[in-house]
Amino acid sequence: MQAWLDSLIARGAFGPHPSPDLIYGAAIAIACALVLFLVAVPFASIVTWVERRVWARIQSRIGPNRVGPNGFLQWLADGFKHICKEDVVPAEADAPLFRLAPYLVVLAFILPWAVMPFASSLILADLNIGILYITAVPALTVIGILMAGWASNNKWSLIGGIRSAAQIISYEIPAGLAIFPVVLMTGTLSMQGIIRAQGWAPDRWFLFANPFCFVAAVILFISGLAENNRTPFDLPEAESELVAGFATEYSSMRYLFFFMAEWGNMFIAAAIVVTLFLGGWQFPAIVQSPRLMNLLQLATFMLKCLFLVFVSMWIRGTLPRVRIDQMMSLCWKYFVPISFINLLGTAVWVAIFPDGNRFTQWLMLSFGVAVVLLFLARVVAFTRRARMELYFHPTI
Amino acid sequence: MIAVIVFWTLAVITVLSAMITAFSRNIVYSAFALLGSFAGVAGIYLLLGADFLFIIQIFIYIGGILVVTIFAVMLTQGVADMNISNRIVGLIPAALIALLAGAVMLEAILRTPWPHPGTAALNPTTHAIGNAFLGPFLLPFEIASVVLLAALIGAIVISRQAARAEA
Amino acid sequence: MNTLNLANLGFAWLPLLPLIAVAVGAAIILLVGVRLEDEDSAGLGILALGVLLVSFVCTLFTIGVNAEAFGGALLTDDYTAFFEIVIQAAAAISVALSLDYAADNGLAGAEYYSLVLFAVLGMMLMAAAGDLIIVFLGLETMSIAVYALAGFVRREARSSEAALKYFLLGAFSTGFLLYGIALIYGATGTVHLDGIRAAIVARAASQPYLELGVGLMVIGFGFKVAAAPFHAWTPDAYEGAPTPITAFMATGVKLAAFASFVRVFMIYLGPAAAQWSGVLWVLAALTMTVGNVVALVQDNIKRMLAYSAIAHAGYALVGMTAAGSAAAVLYYLVAYAFATLGAFAVVIVLERRATAGLRIADYRGLAQTRPGLAAAMTLFMLSLTGVPPLAGFVGKLYVFAAAVDSGHVPLVVIAVINSAISAYYYIGVIVAMYMQEGTPEIEPSGASPGVLIGVAIAALAVVLIGIAPTPYMNAARDAFAAAAGPPAQATAFAR
Repeated sequence: MQAWLDSLIARGAFGPHPSPDLIYGAAIAIACALVLFLVAVPFASIVTWVERRVWARIQSRIGPNRVGPNGFLQWLADGFKHICKEDVVPAEADAPLFRLAPYLVVLAFILPWAVMPFASSLILADLNIGILYITAVPALTVIGILMAGWASNNKWSLIGGIRSAAQIISYEIPAGLAIFPVVLMTGTLSMQGIIRAQGWAPDRWFLFANPFCFVAAVILFISGLAENNRTPFDLPEAESELVAGFATEYSSMRYLFFFMAEWGNMFIAAAIVVTLFLGGWQFPAIVQSPRLMNLLQLATFMLKCLFLVFVSMWIRGTLPRVRIDQMMSLCWKYFVPISFINLLGTAVWVAIFPDGNRFTQWLMLSFGVAVVLLFLARVVAFTRRARMELYFHPTI
Repeated sequence: MIAVIVFWTLAVITVLSAMITAFSRNIVYSAFALLGSFAGVAGIYLLLGADFLFIIQIFIYIGGILVVTIFAVMLTQGVADMNISNRIVGLIPAALIALLAGAVMLEAILRTPWPHPGTAALNPTTHAIGNAFLGPFLLPFEIASVVLLAALIGAIVISRQAARAEA
Repeated sequence: MNTLNLANLGFAWLPLLPLIAVAVGAAIILLVGVRLEDEDSAGLGILALGVLLVSFVCTLFTIGVNAEAFGGALLTDDYTAFFEIVIQAAAAISVALSLDYAADNGLAGAEYYSLVLFAVLGMMLMAAAGDLIIVFLGLETMSIAVYALAGFVRREARSSEAALKYFLLGAFSTGFLLYGIALIYGATGTVHLDGIRAAIVARAASQPYLELGVGLMVIGFGFKVAAAPFHAWTPDAYEGAPTPITAFMATGVKLAAFASFVRVFMIYLGPAAAQWSGVLWVLAALTMTVGNVVALVQDNIKRMLAYSAIAHAGYALVGMTAAGSAAAVLYYLVAYAFATLGAFAVVIVLERRATAGLRIADYRGLAQTRPGLAAAMTLFMLSLTGVPPLAGFVGKLYVFAAAVDSGHVPLVVIAVINSAISAYYYIGVIVAMYMQEGTPEIEPSGASPGVLIGVAIAALAVVLIGIAPTPYMNAARDAFAAAAGPPAQATAFAR
């Protein structure tokens, strides 16, 4: 992308003395818009269908299966339905802020895609502060949610908005601190730089580089759930207490915006974890063609991300909601101190083993494999007693 | 040329938002309008090639300070329908002081021989900032953490004792 | 991979030791305090005194060392040591005054003493600062800790009011200072004080920005030393804060602010003196007059001492307008600090719960019930007035003589008239104690050993520094000479 722009600049496509940065900036802006309409929105929408199907299976139901094959087009029907609804602005609401809030939330969900490292050359802008950017920009979500909560002029909305903001700014701290072990090891903040420092094989992933990184990855993933108001941290929209939290008064497209952003952010949170700890798009160099290679890398990255998104749905279907004090004490009394210890431990580790330690990597990997095997053994044991035809028949 | 247009756009956003913050009668609007100022300043940092400062501006000011400010405003009771009765009393002295300060600043701006800036390239600044923090500016870096610790303790003391008095 | 080499950073342990001692001490007190009930806070106070003693001993080792650390960010010279010792003494007396006061008033112990120590850390940094960033950070550390301390008595609205007013105006003034620092950085391209001086001497600094920056810094420092017209917060903050903290604010904060003010302006902005000495002249005259005239009508002793503190900032500013009188300013500040600490110690003895016993009328007849206290209070009042042979007199003499030498005769006339005015309200307290009938109520806890020791030390200092001023004046002179001279062995020491 950058190379292509450079060649255009060299050919004088932007006039005699262009400023490259601004052209990059404009290109990023345009590309963001394209991504918004061509990738992010359909993706987030399709995820809603996946999520509903997954939950249904977890709850021994079938889920939406009428629109399109296996209900695949359900998201289109839902979206169409929402657009056709009346866009209600309550009489007592603060109309300008009420209208503005969903756009801020959507903006916060679109901007991070600019640095999403889909493949070795599939990235809009490999900013040298990419990882900071992708963690900082979602802060706009908080502003949007607070705005929605306030502007609705409704107690449920306000409480939901304030809960959400408290939750997001609290969990931003462990999430931010969990990034730094990797930054310490790689010495770069660029998304591509971090991925290039890892290998395709799991033993070269930062997840298994040392015990501190493993803990950091877990903290980052859980903080990601909390930052996106996902179960078990979905207090801001707790149906049983707050109707629908900050989104209570919203209808039509604006309501959809909030949930689109939530599902999109789920993917972004997963992508951060994949980039930092799961080797990103790294794929063994088995083909010569760069195009084919990039496609394979894209598939790798998307599969890893979707797996984490699936885990997040799985958690949502399985775990009950935590209380707000439990959530806060988890963050401040456990995650923040552990993150600091992690940071310190990684610093010491890097000082002792500047190039990593192969033995630990293998040890950590075998630990990881052992955990997965144990889990699979439990699954096998339980499915023996369950109704296999429902669980393992995805196309009912 | 494009840089000039971008600069003026950002400057107008920043100043207009700041004016809403200062003049809005609804303090909630004032708090939300800060978003424009902070984002505009962040944009100007980016224009100057200070990428790390840009992201930190978003991280700290939008993600931290602004959220806490809005929080404080929202949790204050009856903040939206507050009525300042003697608004006009403060207006004339305020305008005078603003005029005076503006005149002084304008004079300083006009009298200063401005060195011509080179073209700002988007060079990574993070490494240099990190080295400065652990190099020539190690002491300020450490003292800043002491400032924050003192502020934390002070804030906890004042709020915790309030809670105890109510109980 | 780069390895961090402390020697390359100009990292030196010696100048840092007094600061590290205080910072570590504050942390230890917090940690110990977790295990203690609030009632046991006196033990923590003793611990805080121990920390200050350790820091003092560390400071003693830095006397005579003339060096800079962290590339000039921290200056270790006799000037630093001078102010560090005075600040430690002021803090130690304030802590001694707090030992029973804090327990009586239900102030949580660990936070209280650790905040005092954080404030001391900030003050010592301000005294040692060799660049404007450290000046600012020291000021912030000190101010934030003191804001919280001023509002420590939550059950009293006055205390919260004090903290709020002090915080709002203080934050505002810090903004001025920071803006001034930014403009000076813009004008000279450096935050290092010697770099700024070099730029001014070489006429490389951008004049309009330098003037604007210096003006804003005067405002910022003016707030902190409580100079008129930036004094509005002082009476309310001093009145509402817990009395030991008032004593600490009136001495420690003022000493630190002046330490930095004098070093930055008289030494490093000295070449640009034409641009600021006129402003200081006006500030000095205004501050003295406002402080003394308004103090005349105060009937609350804390407010009276607050206005007295404003007035004394004015006398010190008189010294700052004269180029050769920095040593006199240093001496004057020490004399002022001990007299004020002593006066507030006596106030604590008479103060009772719910802020009773704070009127000057409450001092009637103190000479009959507590002749020793009355005598000590008389000493402090006379020293603040400037009666020979006490410290205050010698201080004023040095300051006024230096001002006359540099040709500021009208200002000295104003100062002398003001001293005469101040005699009225200082001697009013003495009159109440000795010549009016009354029975002051003293709670037994008020006259605790800590407070009485504080009174005794302050009285001794006021008399000693006044009778034999030469060693102290020489110390002040050496201190200033060390700060003004070039840092000779700087690089050798830093390794």
